[in-house]
Amino acid sequence: MFHALAQSSWLIPCYPLLGASLSLLWFPSVIRRTGPRPAGYVNLLFTLVALFHSTIALSACWGEPARFIQLPWLTVADLQLSFPLELSPTTLGACTLVTLLNFLVQVYAIGYLEMDWGWGRLYALLALFEAGMVALVLCDSLFFSYMLLEILTLGTYLIVGFWFNQSLVVTGARDAFLTKRVGDLVLLMGVLALYPLTGSWNFSELALWAQSPEAAAAAPLTITLIAVALICGPLSKCAQFPLHLWLDEAMEGPLPTTILRNSVVVTTGAWVLVKLAPVIALSSWASSFMIVIGSLSALGGSLISSAQVDAKRVPSYLTSVYMGIVFIAVGSGQAEAALLLVFTYAIATALLIMSIGSVILTVISQDITQLGGLWSRRPVTGLSFLVGSAGLVALPPFGGFWALMALLTDFWEQGQWGLVAVVVVTNGVVGFALMRMFGLMFAGDRQSMTARAPEPIWLMVVPMTLLTGLTLHLPLVMGWLGILPEEASWLSPLALVLLSSSLAGLGVGGFCYVFPRVTKPGSLLPKQLNDLFAYDFYTPRVYQVTAIALVDILSKLTDWLDRYVVDGLVNLVGLTPLFSGEALKYGNSGKLQFYALTIAFFVAAISLYMGWNYLPDLLSSPLPLPV
Amino acid sequence: MQLQYFLLAAAALFCIGVYGLVTSRNAVRVLMSIELMLNAVNLNLMAFSNYLDAAVIRGQVFTVFVISIGAAESAVGLAILLSIYRNRDTVDMEQFNLLKW
Repeated sequence: MFHALAQSSWLIPCYPLLGASLSLLWFPSVIRRTGPRPAGYVNLLFTLVALFHSTIALSACWGEPARFIQLPWLTVADLQLSFPLELSPTTLGACTLVTLLNFLVQVYAIGYLEMDWGWGRLYALLALFEAGMVALVLCDSLFFSYMLLEILTLGTYLIVGFWFNQSLVVTGARDAFLTKRVGDLVLLMGVLALYPLTGSWNFSELALWAQSPEAAAAAPLTITLIAVALICGPLSKCAQFPLHLWLDEAMEGPLPTTILRNSVVVTTGAWVLVKLAPVIALSSWASSFMIVIGSLSALGGSLISSAQVDAKRVPSYLTSVYMGIVFIAVGSGQAEAALLLVFTYAIATALLIMSIGSVILTVISQDITQLGGLWSRRPVTGLSFLVGSAGLVALPPFGGFWALMALLTDFWEQGQWGLVAVVVVTNGVVGFALMRMFGLMFAGDRQSMTARAPEPIWLMVVPMTLLTGLTLHLPLVMGWLGILPEEASWLSPLALVLLSSSLAGLGVGGFCYVFPRVTKPGSLLPKQLNDLFAYDFYTPRVYQVTAIALVDILSKLTDWLDRYVVDGLVNLVGLTPLFSGEALKYGNSGKLQFYALTIAFFVAAISLYMGWNYLPDLLSSPLPLPV
Repeated sequence: MQLQYFLLAAAALFCIGVYGLVTSRNAVRVLMSIELMLNAVNLNLMAFSNYLDAAVIRGQVFTVFVISIGAAESAVGLAILLSIYRNRDTVDMEQFNLLKW
């Protein structure tokens, strides 16, 4: 029984797909009378089935070696494409996590989108995401991972553009699609260039190839370029510097989808990156590129998120931060620590955004400077926020601490102080950003926006509290799963450094915002610096004057060339006979004498031409005719 | 006296005829120029018949034909001219350009 269910794990992505196609039935244009609610319930059911299946499959293959299944897809000439599935505790664990978070988010969405008619579309897209993510974590092929990433990119476009009558939604969806698309296309270049070298796209075979002497013999420049191209896909997917603007603008989408995107969809990029780690490790240059990108995103994102006023944009930049730390981890060859971080991050950040959504739904405003004093009225939401924050920053004994410890232990032992400093500083700034947000939302006096704010409906509170419980139990779960880093200890100097950075960040945030001892903390920094962080280093402006300007000018130029040079040449061919006909008709002067002149002229000319050869004879011996 | 001189004289006469035909504005002079060209042709025919075909003088026969055709043509030409003149009240060749483009 168990074995059969593990063997049929390829069915897990099919359940949500079935749910998605069924929910199309409840589009307002199809079922006009009864409303869209069954779409949500049907999808919830299928997600539950997928959750059970993946849980049972996980327990069935626990402790066993990875098993591989090939589903044939296409055979053309000498290229055989089959969809390989890897059934291992890691992939099925990721499946369980994805379906669990999806289940909670879908329950949450029933509460959150109470007043919305678009359930058919929303749940179809949520289910599409679920199917895509489950297929991606099960998939063992770089090629199909790329395909799934592209499908998810399209899904992001559709789901960010859910309420498409808002203009910012339309531009946000556009940016999300194009930015992710750029990364995906560069990834495709890497995928295509990898095949001639390796002869396979299977991650397991790629890892074997990376160990083989052929990989060592390959040209370093080629490997570096391919590795950088392979990094570029996850770079845009994980909203890393400089392709991070889309995640900020994607906050225009419905909040339940934001929970899902920030906790799991974005991490699909990190998943692919982790799987590609053996190939990327071949090039030291690409590894340092990843570390630089990750450090920039981590530091920059944490600074930006601590200067935001929008409740949804603070966690959005935190996503860039934690994905940046994952980049650092993979770049320095610590794929295990990266996976651990993704695991703890996904749960904690989902909880964080759920609690933020619970605030937004009842106080309307997303501007955290207009909120305040919610703690006494909203204890569940406030506690969830605090637990989510504790799970995110390195605060023992919660999950984030162990993940960062697992990452930093190696750096500490090898004396890579720069990376330790980046992560520790980032951790402190993230602590500050979260505590600032907590202070602005929950502490202080009530403002007009928050004068009357009840806790939301149970459909939102229950998933939130369930996730709170999960976050609190995460260290126990990790210990039970055996993924708690063993060498990390509570009392090592590294743990103290991490803890003190978190405490410093949380303390400064609390000092400024929760128990305000400073009247206007924002004015402590110069205004230019404040604005620089608040406006995301003016990234939209940077895009506008670089990439967008370049493409815009080039497209205008090519449009001009097409309109005037290419079309013009063809039109010239048509116009030339037209105008020459118009001009030459004046040769018909209507005068008889002119015609006579023409005849006489051409007779003379033809005679001259035909007699040209005889002309010299005529001149040399005049009058040669016989008498 | 040689054949060439006759031929050159006839050619010169023909050229003068062509020149007159092309440049004259008076339609009567155009007809006269045509006569001049016909005469040049006649001169050619006569010269060849004298110098090269003295036995049979076929050229002279042709000349007679040409003279008679020329007379007929002048008659028709003058008649056309008269009818144009009656309609348009002019014999200026520049005015007869109804068939332009």
